[in-house]
Amino acid sequence: MKDKYLLKKDHLLPLLRKLKKTYRLIAPVRNTHGDTLFTAIDRLDEVRIDLDKQPQNSLKQFFFPQQEVLFTYDNPAGDSYHFQPVVEESPPSLYFGVRPCDLSAVLYMDVVFLKDAKDPSYLQKRQNSILVGLNCNDPFASCFCNVTRSGPFIDFGFDLQLTDLGDRFLVEFDRSRGQEIITSWQQFFAPAGEADVKAQYQSFLEARGKFSLQVHLDQAVRKLALGEVPESVWEELSMRCQDCGGCAYICPTCTCFTIHDLQTSDHAGERLRSWDACTFSGFTRMAGGHNPVDRQMRGIEKRFRHKLQFDVKKDNRPSCVGCGRCVNICFGGTDIVRFINMTCCENS
Amino acid sequence: MAGLATTFGSGAMTNSINEIENAQVILLIGSNTSEAHPQVARRIFTAMDRGARLIVIDPRRTLMAKRADIHLPIRPGTDIPLLNAMMRVILDENLADDLFIEMRTENFYGLRDMLFRFDLEETVRLTGVDLARIRAAAQLYGRAQKAVICYCLGITQHVCGTGNVQAIANLAMLTGHVEKEDTGVDPLRGQNNVQGACDMGALPNVFPSYQQVDIDDYREKFERAWHASLPGQPGLTLMQMTHGGKNGPLKAMFIMGENPVLSDPVSDRVEETLDNLEFLLVADIFLTETARRAHVVLPAASFAEKTGTFTNSERRVQMVRRVIPPLGQSRTDSDIIMDLAGRLGYAMDYESPAEIMEEISMLAPIYGGMQHDRLENSWGLQWPCWDRSHPGTPFLHKYYFTRGRGRFTPVVHEPPAELPDDDYPFLLNTGRIYHQYHTGTMSRHSALLSREAGEALLQLHPEDGRRLGVRSGDLLRMRSRRGEVQVKAELTETVRPGEVYTTFHFSEMPVNRLTISAQDHFSQCPEYKICAVHLEKV
Amino acid sequence: MHDVLTTCVYCGCGCGLYLHEHRGRVTGSSPSRNHPVSRNNLCVKGWHLHEFIHHPSRLTEPLMRKNGRLTPVSWDEAMNCAARELGRIAAASDGKAVGLLSSAKCTNEENYLLQKLARAVLHTNNIDHCARL
Repeated sequence: MKDKYLLKKDHLLPLLRKLKKTYRLIAPVRNTHGDTLFTAIDRLDEVRIDLDKQPQNSLKQFFFPQQEVLFTYDNPAGDSYHFQPVVEESPPSLYFGVRPCDLSAVLYMDVVFLKDAKDPSYLQKRQNSILVGLNCNDPFASCFCNVTRSGPFIDFGFDLQLTDLGDRFLVEFDRSRGQEIITSWQQFFAPAGEADVKAQYQSFLEARGKFSLQVHLDQAVRKLALGEVPESVWEELSMRCQDCGGCAYICPTCTCFTIHDLQTSDHAGERLRSWDACTFSGFTRMAGGHNPVDRQMRGIEKRFRHKLQFDVKKDNRPSCVGCGRCVNICFGGTDIVRFINMTCCENS
Repeated sequence: MAGLATTFGSGAMTNSINEIENAQVILLIGSNTSEAHPQVARRIFTAMDRGARLIVIDPRRTLMAKRADIHLPIRPGTDIPLLNAMMRVILDENLADDLFIEMRTENFYGLRDMLFRFDLEETVRLTGVDLARIRAAAQLYGRAQKAVICYCLGITQHVCGTGNVQAIANLAMLTGHVEKEDTGVDPLRGQNNVQGACDMGALPNVFPSYQQVDIDDYREKFERAWHASLPGQPGLTLMQMTHGGKNGPLKAMFIMGENPVLSDPVSDRVEETLDNLEFLLVADIFLTETARRAHVVLPAASFAEKTGTFTNSERRVQMVRRVIPPLGQSRTDSDIIMDLAGRLGYAMDYESPAEIMEEISMLAPIYGGMQHDRLENSWGLQWPCWDRSHPGTPFLHKYYFTRGRGRFTPVVHEPPAELPDDDYPFLLNTGRIYHQYHTGTMSRHSALLSREAGEALLQLHPEDGRRLGVRSGDLLRMRSRRGEVQVKAELTETVRPGEVYTTFHFSEMPVNRLTISAQDHFSQCPEYKICAVHLEKV
Repeated sequence: MHDVLTTCVYCGCGCGLYLHEHRGRVTGSSPSRNHPVSRNNLCVKGWHLHEFIHHPSRLTEPLMRKNGRLTPVSWDEAMNCAARELGRIAAASDGKAVGLLSSAKCTNEENYLLQKLARAVLHTNNIDHCARL
């Protein structure tokens, strides 16, 4: 079968060991406390790569860190400022085991950070990245990528992608850099047969049937577009919101940030960029103290409208990728799934 | 915590935080949970989504109160009559757990006799809450199978703080809401390691694990372990140390990581005390208002720069791990103490915090099985944990109370030390807000937290605002018999007319210049929650 | 880049969280998914826990009051002075005129050491912390 290959499961670790010589390897690692996180791996033999659990972090923190220095400034004589941009050299990095939702999220961030004005810091890290995807045969309990159409399988956007077929992976590429890896390390890859491709399709069909959440996303999108979401929904959700910002921070497609200057000495300082959340009151409060958004009544509104209305209008698809990370973590029980369910159950 | 210690025998949360999720009724009293203990509020909201009922006793209409099934907007400082009234209703309606009272408690008749002499109408007059609501709350709590009471500093920071806690314990024991999982009395501890500091004996009257200094057996045990003779008289409490004034009992102090100038009541008195010391040594991570007054300031390492353990509100002892080395020349507090001890001629020679913990586990029975290697590979252990094979204790008082039988301690109303009058017509209540923390030493150095809440605001009812001609954002002069500050007004119906609320996070608005030094007779907890102030527009 | 699991230093809930270290600097914090308290989320203070650690106004050298001003000195000078003064006043008053405040922000080990210092070295039970505040 053209452009489709097989990699024996036993050969995965040897392949990663080879790739690690060229790239910084980042993969989901189950640590000694039992949490699974995307982690930069120092020694392959000392960590446990975990493809059974969803990593609790997405790739957002690698491309768009929680806090980074944009530039430093100084004004030694007190007359004029000198600015020094800080773009950290990022080593060529290979991200392994990226699920379709997280891959879709990176593609969304590409639009935000690279479409018009190109963000130098993001560009640097993204240019030096290879994404090796892993299709989801078994969606996790909070997943709903089937309705956001960003999974459980995806057929574009990756450099390389694996599908688990039991004792072997089916390997595909979508970018030339992925093809180069297959060419350079061809001893690991055998051409796939028609049966393998059929097996992949079969696991895709089975995976689609395994979602445990039922989320009527399309209906919510339609109601938002038609302005049919009852006020009571915003009110109830906003009252439940405890202002932690966790939903935005954990979300792979929330890209809002704030900048502030930190004075490091009398004549010098640095400008920092940090994650921000549209649910915070400081996000919209103006200099004079007036806040155009009534937090008590609609503090949470912008977040859901952005994902399910404004981005649908702009890109024809919602920017929620259905990874489910925000589900069940909200202090007040106000996640996007509750919003969608409330919207679909209540009439205006 | 003296209140729970005298009734149950142990002054800590009887449950784990996660158990709150499974309660059927949650009684919240003196706790602004969603702002001060977000993770506990999260469990309460989850419980409510599963059908639990929430009762909130709070003078302010906090977010918890807004979401409550029953809100009892109590007049500040009248918790005891309210709780007594609930107990009387429970007795009258036969909702008491007779078997529990019989098997597990003592002095029930003392409580019963007091309650039967009690006038319910008087309660209504004192608390300002109507009887129907009190009755509904009592019925809800009394009938529940699994009920949790959470309380916080709104209960303890009163002259009758210990009495308040005893009244809560009485209510829980009367209905048998103690010995089971998902059921109990939970004092929420305000600071990350206040439980641990108490457990470690950073208190004037006890060694680690609450072993009294004036009991010879305990003292001799520590004398043997430490190779030193130890004083047998309990020492001075924080308030006695920091409020001595010019002729106070102390000539030298060592303050490690605290900021009493902002955190203690009557700041003028604290400043006077510190300024008159012959020697003040402060170790801290920032140059706090207290450190500015020191003779020697030592740069301490932050929590990210050291290894050790914290004990949370649910008695869970957990690892703190070093992420980066101490910044600049700063040193960890343990290094500082060891160095100081050495220079004073006493060798403290520990190669690591793990070795210190080994010594603790040998001397403090409740930490008996807690060594770093066990804590390292788990989510921590909850004390009591008697030995290395003990799995820790998620909830306390199963089968028997720590003191044997739970003791009913009848308590009666004690009015606050200072109530509003014609000269000082407003009642000032102080506490925390969500985005800031304590004296702001850490949180005010965070850019985003300061953006969200960058200055102190005085919550004032719109009706009072109208009377004073004040709008939100206007500057007010707030005066008490002890001092004066200026503060911006925030008109809100969270507070009731005649009552105002603000925070002590901001050094620009040191509200503790105004607060009163009256304190609880047993625990010496200052009455932060009530003092009388006068307001005028600037 | 390293993630280190530690315990939050704000309120008494005791969330387990990861601090992210990048080139010697703590640049982020995020919750632990399986920790019994944090369960994959933190309050706003926890999510911004890293921000104060590297603040430029952190104290990085010992200070001693000279001519009324706090002046940078060496550790040796600061500690000698501290030991001399505390020792002198403790000895003259049999421990009665010295007082120590420990901290609910410090670790158990540090609290233990400070009360040991008070009792075994300075011979006083005048030790307390802000439990009631």
